[in-house]
Amino acid sequence: MALATSQIDFAAIEARERASTKKKWPSVVVAAFVSLIWVVPFYYMLVSIFKTHAEYTANNPLSLPEGFSPIADNAISAWNTAKMGAGFANSAMYGIVGAGLAVFFAAMAAYGLTRISFKRQNFWFMLIFAGTIFPFQIYLIPLFFAYQKIGIINTHFGMLLFYTAVCIPFPVLVLRNYLNGLSREMDEAARMDGASEFRVFWSIILPNCIGPMTATFLLQFTWIWNDLLFSTVLGNREEVRSIMNSLQIFHGSYTTAGPNLTLTAALIASLPAIVLFLLLRRHFMEGMRVTGV
Amino acid sequence: MTDRPDRETDLQLMERIGWHQIKAVEDRAMKRNFWKAFAFMSPAIVLVCGLLLMPVVYNIYFSFTKWKKFAGLDEFAGFSNYAKLPGNPYFDTAFYNTAIWVAASVVFPLAIGFGLAVFLRGVAFGNVFKNIIFLPRILAPTAVAVIWFHVYAPHGVLNSLLALVAGQPVDIGWLYQDNTVTPAIIATFVWQSVGLVMVLVLLGLSAIPKDPLEAARVDGATNSQTFWHIVMPLLMPTLVVVTILSVLSGFTTFDLLWVMGVAYPGQRTLSLAVFMYFESFQKGSWAFGSAIAVIIGIVVFSVTWIQTVMQNRVDKMTR
Repeated sequence: MALATSQIDFAAIEARERASTKKKWPSVVVAAFVSLIWVVPFYYMLVSIFKTHAEYTANNPLSLPEGFSPIADNAISAWNTAKMGAGFANSAMYGIVGAGLAVFFAAMAAYGLTRISFKRQNFWFMLIFAGTIFPFQIYLIPLFFAYQKIGIINTHFGMLLFYTAVCIPFPVLVLRNYLNGLSREMDEAARMDGASEFRVFWSIILPNCIGPMTATFLLQFTWIWNDLLFSTVLGNREEVRSIMNSLQIFHGSYTTAGPNLTLTAALIASLPAIVLFLLLRRHFMEGMRVTGV
Repeated sequence: MTDRPDRETDLQLMERIGWHQIKAVEDRAMKRNFWKAFAFMSPAIVLVCGLLLMPVVYNIYFSFTKWKKFAGLDEFAGFSNYAKLPGNPYFDTAFYNTAIWVAASVVFPLAIGFGLAVFLRGVAFGNVFKNIIFLPRILAPTAVAVIWFHVYAPHGVLNSLLALVAGQPVDIGWLYQDNTVTPAIIATFVWQSVGLVMVLVLLGLSAIPKDPLEAARVDGATNSQTFWHIVMPLLMPTLVVVTILSVLSGFTTFDLLWVMGVAYPGQRTLSLAVFMYFESFQKGSWAFGSAIAVIIGIVVFSVTWIQTVMQNRVDKMTR
């Protein structure tokens, strides 16, 4: 190197760096002020869940709670009023089984689309992917009536069937792109050694797809967990309704529950998705990077 | 090669080595392969066709019938359901509100998210602020709607903060009045979606190679020149994706409007998605509801088509 280290003016660089951080202090204040808009509603939720109904109505909504004890009552009462136990179990089942099956079926389809050569591959891919281009509103009426006719409206099976179907097209896109970039040498070698197609898929492709499969599973699980529309239309009975749908109890015109209860319920309902996100942040970010969802 | 007769055409050569047989064998293999591949694709194809594509076909068919309540499914109505749409006061308002929704859900999250991404990149503790702003994204939309329903309540957070500023009690029913309900719900939508836009823009920014930036700096480009001529073009693909995502979610949002608009007397006019739900599942005008769904579908379709065109153009530009 022509440039010797002694020629570099480290002091000047350091001074410049320090100056640039110092200059930024006013902008930290601005940033803090802006992020208040995001903090206040969360703060409001957090103080409200520690208040009794009387306490909530008597004080300013942003005031600090008098104690922490009302949260136990709020949680129990919210849980019982909305029958959240059933909602939790249902949503967990729809989310885990539905998203799990969907991603598995998507991996199978992606394998067929990328590892076996046949005519009009693109047509079959587009056929599956077409499931993502329609707005959800267009499915509602036909599904509602078909479900009634077949008799699977308001059943666990019916809900699971739809959630699985609606979560397939997107992972197919992701996994197909991923498999196209994955080297074919391993599966060619396995085929040479006489492995069946299913064996190649099961023991070679699947283990290599764990990353994108986890990322898409998490996205689809969260989608199912958060869904309100289809749960309202296809499964509005108490035994089958999802957790988000059970929150609606607090929202009708017949409710007497205070905001403290409603907010507690909303927080409880969101907890699993939040915990999942915090635990598996890396996978979510990876999923967002590939998808922008 | 030595035994190749003179002046043999390629066609003759192919005849001689029996290309018909080769082609037949290959075709057979392709056909066999297709069934193999189909076995792998069949669960996906059956589910997608049965539960997503078939309903679309049926929905279009329903929109041309006179189906209302329990009758009229077998009566053909032509385009009359569509002809009824403009002029229906609810539809007109819903359409107008949806247009506002879509415009606002593109402009605000994009402008604010983009601004915050650029701004927070250089700020100390930037990551803390980014995480705070991203926070609403991990809440369910229904939960966000519940929180903001109470923030906007007459005795809620917003009014109490305004009272602090005004020095006297404020009790605006943000979600009960015609002129505040849509802006209020849009603000909530923006609040929730800015974080994602910001993260996507940050990802786009971090993917920009350092070399052209360095080169521009060495050549004496000003900051704004670098931004408009180097950063922006390289960021275009991200911005296109973000815009389209915002348009589509603005068009089909249901949860926020359904939960937050529950106390608003004209809830059905909040957007086309809500209007469609009202007409069909509450009034039983199934054919009419199907027609609204088709309209939503057409708009979403054209937006997706514009996206493809724009993306191709951007790809050509950056290549």
